[in-house]
Amino acid sequence: MSVLGMIAIAAAIAALTGVGAALGMSHATAKAVESIARQPEASGKVNSSLMFGLIMMETTAIYGLFVAILLIFVLPGSIAP
Amino acid sequence: MFYALGFLAQAGHEAKPGGLPEIDIMPHRIHLGGMEIGSSVLVGWLVTALLVLLLLCLRGRIRRFADKPKGLQNFLEMIVESVYNFARGKVGHNADFVAPMVLTLMGYVAVATLVELFGLPPATEDLSCTLALGLTTFVLVNVTALRQFGLKTRIRRLASPNAMVLPIRILTDCVAPISMALRLFANVLVGGIIMKLIYAVMPYVLPAVLSVYFNLIHVAIQTFVFGMLTLNYISEATE
Repeated sequence: MSVLGMIAIAAAIAALTGVGAALGMSHATAKAVESIARQPEASGKVNSSLMFGLIMMETTAIYGLFVAILLIFVLPGSIAP
Repeated sequence: MFYALGFLAQAGHEAKPGGLPEIDIMPHRIHLGGMEIGSSVLVGWLVTALLVLLLLCLRGRIRRFADKPKGLQNFLEMIVESVYNFARGKVGHNADFVAPMVLTLMGYVAVATLVELFGLPPATEDLSCTLALGLTTFVLVNVTALRQFGLKTRIRRLASPNAMVLPIRILTDCVAPISMALRLFANVLVGGIIMKLIYAVMPYVLPAVLSVYFNLIHVAIQTFVFGMLTLNYISEATE
């Protein structure tokens, strides 16, 4: 297997962080919708905490994507052929 | 100067017809007056000059703020009021100290990213620029906290349950600006890469639709997120 193929596999594995982020986001959104349905007058507070949590979860996905991008665009150039 | 701007505009569109576009995540280097600087530095200066000019124009336009706002003044007051109210909801009485800085940061982030629409490489596509913004936030958070508590109480609050957590809390505080910088940088970079790929794959109808999201709404979300995270860190440090 060539080095480039290994890099591609590594990038694909790094992009798998999206799975965790998606699971977390779906869970949080489901709970937020549930609590708004139970108590509609608290929707403002629920929305703002949900937004904060979603940003934090999105960050992990972005880190994974960033690592994948670094692997794809930077690593092949820095390895001597 | 104009030579450098032309070079920047060219650097924004390096897509070769046919093959995949030339994607380079390192910032472009340009020579200006014997110095080698990143293109984001130049764009950053440009954005700063643009914002200062805009604000001077606004200052010239509105000589005195009327009691009954109308037109432009109404619009400006709406923006400032909304940021102040948002800050007040997050950090309480510190809002008067913090809100101008947050609005400035958000304005800079928005304009520095939106210059992509004019063909320039956005300044926030460079990690140095976003790291500088993150460090500004870090300084803002600590200045606000020190202003409220003083050094002794601040350290005591950082070591609040017991002294064991002090290093961990300090590490968390120091990682926050890096996290914000990486988040903004990666988001802008990824938006740019996706748009370049779309331009390469189908340059006809699709970019017109998708660039509304990736160049406008995405930027608005990131600007909002930057301001909100700044306020969140401040409220965490001061409550």
